[in-house]
Amino acid sequence: MSLNKFSELFLNLDSNNSTKKKIEILKNYFSTNDDLENSWSIYLLTGKKNKRFISGRYLKSFFSDIYEFPLWLIDTCYLRVGDSAEVITLLLKSKNIGKNKFTQDISLDELLNKILPELAVLKEDEKKLRVKEIWTKLPKENLLIFNKILTGTFRVGVSIGLITKSIANLINLDEAIISHRLMGDFKPSEDSYKFLINNKVDLEELNYKPYPFLLANTFEKKITEESINSFQYEWKWDGIRIQLIKRLGKVSIWTRGQDLINRSFPELVENTLFIKDDFVIDGELLVWNFAEELPMNFSFLQKRINRKSPSKSIQNKIPIIFIAYDLLELNGVDKRELNLENRRINLEKNFHKWINESEKDISIIFKISNLLFPKNWEEVENLKNKSRENATEGLVIKNKNSTYALGRKKGIWWKYKVDPMQLDAVLIYAKGGSGKRAGLYTDYSFALWKDGQLIKFASAYSGLNNQEIKELDKWIRKNTIEKFGPVRSVKPEMVFEISFENIQVSNRHKAGISVRFPRITKWRKDKNIKDADTLENAQKLMLNKL
Amino acid sequence: MIQKSTDLIKYSDQGLYCELTDTWIDPHKPVKRALITHAHMDHFTFGCNEYISTPETSLIIKERIGSNINIKTYDYGKEFKINGIKLSFHPSGHILGSSQIKFNFGGEIWLITGDFKRQIDETCQEFEKVKTDYLISESTFGLPIFKWEETQKIAIDISKWVNLSPDRTSILFCYSLGKAQRLLNEINKTNFKNKIYTHTSINKMNNCYKKLGIDIFETNKFDKTQNINKFKGNLILLPPSLNRGSFLKKFKNIQTGFASGWMSIRALRKRSGYDKGFAISDHADWEAILKTLNETEAKNVFFHHGDSEALIRYLNEKNSINVLKFAP
Repeated sequence: MSLNKFSELFLNLDSNNSTKKKIEILKNYFSTNDDLENSWSIYLLTGKKNKRFISGRYLKSFFSDIYEFPLWLIDTCYLRVGDSAEVITLLLKSKNIGKNKFTQDISLDELLNKILPELAVLKEDEKKLRVKEIWTKLPKENLLIFNKILTGTFRVGVSIGLITKSIANLINLDEAIISHRLMGDFKPSEDSYKFLINNKVDLEELNYKPYPFLLANTFEKKITEESINSFQYEWKWDGIRIQLIKRLGKVSIWTRGQDLINRSFPELVENTLFIKDDFVIDGELLVWNFAEELPMNFSFLQKRINRKSPSKSIQNKIPIIFIAYDLLELNGVDKRELNLENRRINLEKNFHKWINESEKDISIIFKISNLLFPKNWEEVENLKNKSRENATEGLVIKNKNSTYALGRKKGIWWKYKVDPMQLDAVLIYAKGGSGKRAGLYTDYSFALWKDGQLIKFASAYSGLNNQEIKELDKWIRKNTIEKFGPVRSVKPEMVFEISFENIQVSNRHKAGISVRFPRITKWRKDKNIKDADTLENAQKLMLNKL
Repeated sequence: MIQKSTDLIKYSDQGLYCELTDTWIDPHKPVKRALITHAHMDHFTFGCNEYISTPETSLIIKERIGSNINIKTYDYGKEFKINGIKLSFHPSGHILGSSQIKFNFGGEIWLITGDFKRQIDETCQEFEKVKTDYLISESTFGLPIFKWEETQKIAIDISKWVNLSPDRTSILFCYSLGKAQRLLNEINKTNFKNKIYTHTSINKMNNCYKKLGIDIFETNKFDKTQNINKFKGNLILLPPSLNRGSFLKKFKNIQTGFASGWMSIRALRKRSGYDKGFAISDHADWEAILKTLNETEAKNVFFHHGDSEALIRYLNEKNSINVLKFAP
């Protein structure tokens, strides 16, 4: 019932890699804690959008001011540790700050509902004093958790799936139901926990919640052994996957990341209200270029998401459409147990009815995902290779005979992505990683040739395995030219194959282009930097794509 | 030719070198004459014409690479001469036999700390405070985030870790020389009731320690051909090199831990893949390094091993000691 207990839970979860053991620990925790504390624990553990009461930067400068400790030294330590809350905790311990015994305990509710919100609105000087006071009073074992909650960076190796499993296990209920109950906003309260562990399933209680999204797996060659007709084929759009929900006359738009985005897309809400039926549709939100009948670049979509209550002129300048993929619920009836073939028939029938009977022309915004009908696997391959022409990422191949199942159940939907674009580029900068990769140089910048000079064109963080990361880290330390804080410039010597999904003109980058999802796909030790690609090659790629 | 006194001992990536005595300290390559601070494998190499160390270090080295080497030994505090220069070994508290090396260049004293720690460790001689003009200090853990807890507290944590998992086999990885003996000694003091099994490489080192008069807690031999059920609820100590050993897969229900100073950082703990980390080190932490600089009364200090940038800047800002860097 307390921060003490929660700290202990964190320590236990953090020092056990076995999933089985973690579930055991969580079950034990939930069953011995009260409902309100459990709801806060779930809020923290699922960590979707933990509130930040002060920033890591502030935390460091507070410590520096209070204990007259050089800020640069904290920053140097940070490079090793990769987490502000942890650095400060280690430094507090080295100064022997905090109580040795568990004396006073506070509840999570008190901490998150009272102590921290009250602290957050204080003036800076008072805030500093308050933080210092709490540090001195807390047991040492709780400092890390406190600092992490304070900076909104609490994270532990526990997925929502694991929490779902533990609770389902605890109350002997199907995981799908718990997963559904955990969707959307989770507001910590006694009631929200009671609702979560309720043994009776009441459909109405889930009214405002999206369903768990069905996710696609990466295409595997062996699928081509199956009949071409057992699948449904659609384009894979590069937008935001959403569930559009209309229940009891109210509309909600949920993203796959479980954000409610009604406010950013008022025109979609407005148009949806013209439909008489209630429903849940799985689909994609895109910014659309009506002249060319193509989606606009993803960056426009980002602009729209970030803008709450966009003006009419923005809605006109950056117009959106909704592409319906799947009908999950109709007038309060869950349709997910139907197979895809029947769900599709339902979707088409109702979609056309809605368009026809609406008083307003909603067909400008509402689209239905067009099916593709390849005759054999060779045609599938060709379709995939052509997907750049209509600015899609490839194909989604769905088993016609499948229900809309939970999570990433294998073999129901497949994503068959077009091969990435690739360039060979030279490593020129490296930056220290954070979190798990603290103390290693893992964030890299790559350059292409232009008039005999190397121009930075992309940064990438992923793609190397642990062995390669270590090897490259060692090389970077030995071949540093200059250090700028956490960044090092290195001798241009190493060539890497960089893959990315898209390339576009950008005024914000020195190279004049920017790429989407760049990652390292090969360490080209066989290549000399003279063999790396030029900026001109990148521009050619950009022109060829259409 | 020696031109500046700051060149009396030089640094290269093969080790430290003193020209006047023509000796290398803990060289990584075979050389004519090598002074060995202690018997960890990364501090000596095969093939030197002549080795010089403490008798304890000599015994352990011979156990590790065979007795067919030319090694001279000098007790702690006993002065000996090379090319007329006076040298002596002094306990560094790192492991059994580990030493600091003092060079007396006719009035000017140089002291190499070697690997050292200031915490009490009953399995080796306590660090000796030696006054010097020039100090060459290790700085493996030269950041203020490193602050060791009391050894006995860590031992209690280890005991609890084993005791709270009676249905699992607990495997603790640790260096077989020094760390293992220190842990066994401390775990024994916690009234540990379960059995402890140790790997051959640890048993060998335990025997060396016993021969040298250090009392080491009796353990059971770990043998991977044994029936694995008997390990349940008990503790096995293994060297880190066996972490990915295939025999580990035979155990259905294990928890693994690693005893090292680096385990105080969560990211390193997570990256290493062990379930649990125990932050215990045979090196000096930040405070111990600063305390040692102070107590040696050195006016000049060099650092080697580890990231010393923070220490150098910190000391420069305090302006209390002259920090030198080895010429590249």
